[in-house]
Amino acid sequence: MSRVGWLPVALWIVLLAAAALVILRAPIGADLSAFLPRAPTPAQQVLVDQLREGAVSRLMLVAIEGAPPERLAQLSTALAEKLAPLPAFAYVNNGAADLLERDGAFLLRNRYLLSPGVAPERFSTAGLSQALAEAEGVLGSPLGMMAGELLPRDPTGELLRLVDELQPEHGPRKREGVWFSADGTRALLLVQTVAQGFDIDAQQTAVAQVRSAFAAVAQEQSVPAARLVLTGPGVFAVSTRAAIRGDAERLAAWATVGVALLLLLVYRSARVLLLGLLPVASGAAAGVAAVALAYGSVQGITLGFGVTLIGEAVDYAIYLFTHTAPGRPPARALERIWPTLRLGAATSVCGFGAMLWSGFPGLAQLGLFSIAGLIAALLVTRFVLPRLAPQDFFARAPQRLAHGALWLASLAPRLRVPVVVLVVAALAWLGLRSGPVWDDQLSSLSPVPAADQALDAALRSDLGAPDVRYLAVVQGESREATLEGAERTGVALGNLVAAGALAGFDSPARYLPSEATQRARKQALPAAEQLRASLDQALAGSAFRPGVFDAFLADVAAAREAPLLDRAALQGTGLGLRVDSLVVEHGAHWYALLPLRGVADAGAIGLAVTNAGGVMLDLKRDADALYHEYRARAAVFAGIGAAAIALLLLLALRDPVRLWEALAPLAAAQVLTWTLLLALGERLTLFHLVAMLLVAGVGSNYSLFFEHETLRRGDVRNTLVSVLLCAASTVLAFGLLATARAPVLSAIGTTVALGASLSLLFSAVFSRGLVSER
Amino acid sequence: MSRMRDRSITRLAGPWLLTLALSLATAGRADEGWGLPELMRELAAVPRAQASFVERRYLQILKQPLELTGTLSYVAPGRLIKHTLTPRPERMTVEGDRLLIEDLAKGRSRTLSLQDYPLVWAFIESFRATLQGDLGALERFYRPQLEGARAGWKLSLEPRERRMAAVVSAIRISGSADRISQIEIEETRGDRSVLTVIEESR
Repeated sequence: MSRVGWLPVALWIVLLAAAALVILRAPIGADLSAFLPRAPTPAQQVLVDQLREGAVSRLMLVAIEGAPPERLAQLSTALAEKLAPLPAFAYVNNGAADLLERDGAFLLRNRYLLSPGVAPERFSTAGLSQALAEAEGVLGSPLGMMAGELLPRDPTGELLRLVDELQPEHGPRKREGVWFSADGTRALLLVQTVAQGFDIDAQQTAVAQVRSAFAAVAQEQSVPAARLVLTGPGVFAVSTRAAIRGDAERLAAWATVGVALLLLLVYRSARVLLLGLLPVASGAAAGVAAVALAYGSVQGITLGFGVTLIGEAVDYAIYLFTHTAPGRPPARALERIWPTLRLGAATSVCGFGAMLWSGFPGLAQLGLFSIAGLIAALLVTRFVLPRLAPQDFFARAPQRLAHGALWLASLAPRLRVPVVVLVVAALAWLGLRSGPVWDDQLSSLSPVPAADQALDAALRSDLGAPDVRYLAVVQGESREATLEGAERTGVALGNLVAAGALAGFDSPARYLPSEATQRARKQALPAAEQLRASLDQALAGSAFRPGVFDAFLADVAAAREAPLLDRAALQGTGLGLRVDSLVVEHGAHWYALLPLRGVADAGAIGLAVTNAGGVMLDLKRDADALYHEYRARAAVFAGIGAAAIALLLLLALRDPVRLWEALAPLAAAQVLTWTLLLALGERLTLFHLVAMLLVAGVGSNYSLFFEHETLRRGDVRNTLVSVLLCAASTVLAFGLLATARAPVLSAIGTTVALGASLSLLFSAVFSRGLVSER
Repeated sequence: MSRMRDRSITRLAGPWLLTLALSLATAGRADEGWGLPELMRELAAVPRAQASFVERRYLQILKQPLELTGTLSYVAPGRLIKHTLTPRPERMTVEGDRLLIEDLAKGRSRTLSLQDYPLVWAFIESFRATLQGDLGALERFYRPQLEGARAGWKLSLEPRERRMAAVVSAIRISGSADRISQIEIEETRGDRSVLTVIEESR
């Protein structure tokens, strides 16, 4: 017996060591998108990936506020000058230099490859005559852009055409020569880090560099009142990780202290405390290790959620301790309570099951963590604790506590009528209530606080980077094929712009035309003698002096010899940046993204894009649909989980009447929890939904313990004390979780703390066992 | 290269704007104690002005000067309209920070913010400052120098800002009393334009 008996302990130690190894090697993630739904189509997956890893994820939006505009402008310029040479930043722009100033030389040099206006007829005598007539007109115009030294080099106006094409029409507002918010209170800068957005350590360094550079310039210019505001994916990842880490540490510490105090107060024994914490620690280790093995990394949020395990896992030990007595050591006590314990754990696991299947990677992690943790805690309670506890061990709950609990429980049934009335009233209120129940904003699920999201949206709109809703996506086997596809789709979209169905669009082919297009443009340029002859003829009838356009002849001759542009040729220009953000390699495919602006007729555009070989996405509609789908799916799994819990209870109780007695209090608690949450003004999300199943899982334990057959078989006092303690530890842990900053944690914490309290109360109120005991 | 764009705008916009500082005839006062502040005050007193103009641009790339004609109007405190009739109908309206350019032949228009185009702004704001008698605003962009007497004066503006100075070497506005009769812009490259105010009404 002894040798076999110690086997579980040895196994436990080995497994703990293995878990420790796994945990030590697992990185901690703070991937914001883990708590957003997975995208359903490959095209959307590309977008999500682009958000996570692409050029967009490396953008940092910087605002300076709190000083008069001219001071802000000076700070903006000084900050940009300080950041630009730092190796951490690929791109720093405060608006002081526009497209032409930054990339003007590049555009001028390559205008005959880039300009969509380049065609053979443009360089014929007729084309040139027309161009010269235009130029004359422009010289007299207030917007005579062709004037100056540019006209002699570029009489056909390719550069200006390019600039019109590439320059965003609704760029940021400027004041004092730099970008400003529309209300003039913030100077704005756009910074792109070299590091990827998900490289949080590098992002943290970059954020720190921006902050210290700003502190330095604010001091140099003695503008102490000026403030720095930072947003962007990397910035949020950094702050979220810090907040979640802080939350996780704080919550874990408080929960441990709280549960330890509870055990100490009740049992007044250090030995009981240590034994009680064993299943908890083992469960936590198993949970983290399981997540690390399944996902490769552990989300910070999962660790924060771990505090609930402290509250849940300690219940098994408490339940065991309360059933020990002199002459009834843990091993003997377990023989009596094992079926109940097993059933309780099974219902809890069902409660977490909805998370596992919710489709949210983050939520699934929480579910896996809890299920693995609970099973481990249960097994340790069953097989390890009895071994480690001395043979004569028993934990004694104070008699006063037992008396008090009994007295309270005896009062509970008096509340039956008021509770029934309350539940009926709540049902009526729920039925009559007209306001929205669900929060339909996908963003409400994001761990980034709403205020930060709003700030980010404000800066984005000021910087003229409105949130993209409509996108045409073109797929290809190579970058070249994708650019060709983007050009075809661009032609279709251009027709729609002319027809008024669309205000405008962007395309990577504008910044990097396909090789075929570039070659065609090059071939459109005539040979030197031919061009000179055409030009001379055109000049004869114009106001321009002969010889003025010699630079043009030289430029065209050079362009005929110049190599085609590829991505490498764009390196270091704003064009390269645009191409990178609009062309994405994903798996074996390349995708071109064409953001659409001012969509008036989505149906016509969708059709035209499809005919051109692309796909149009309505991100908002798709995301909303997706969100509803996930909620519906979570509801289905919550229903399955609830049915599984009911089935487990039926199998254990083997009696429909007893099943009803166990379920009725749970149902009442669910109704009142929903009502209270809504009455408190909470907009319910998917997270509340899965939390309700958790309430059912936890609450079923209470009603099971109060179920009168259970009470009759057991020791009422001990049962009462253990249930009270279990509920106290659970409410403590989830109550702490309710204070977390991440919406997923606070929603689950609030719901379960509330639901578990009500479940306990109603279980006592409706217990027949307690009445007969009295 | 945006400089080119800016420059061309400013160089075309500048002359007429300054021309608008025209007119404003009030009766002659004694010249003693007359100077820039007094001229500014007198110009500022004019609530509105209307004029026709002829502008000649002497450009090196053209066989002969380009001639433009049209009308100018000013309403205090900051609304200016230059309506070019020949050779190509076009209208520019400045009000506050907004610059509206209408190509009347093609029916296209374009709105710019002066803050976005520092060179255009320098031209317009200096001129508007002249009309408004706001010497401080004028001095923000130029070093003004006044010669002559009230009956016949010449205000020379030398650009302060580096980018502006790279394009324009000087702007000379001449007039008498509160009337502006001519604006001459000299560019660093050797091109030149002269805008003459040929008649006016108030």
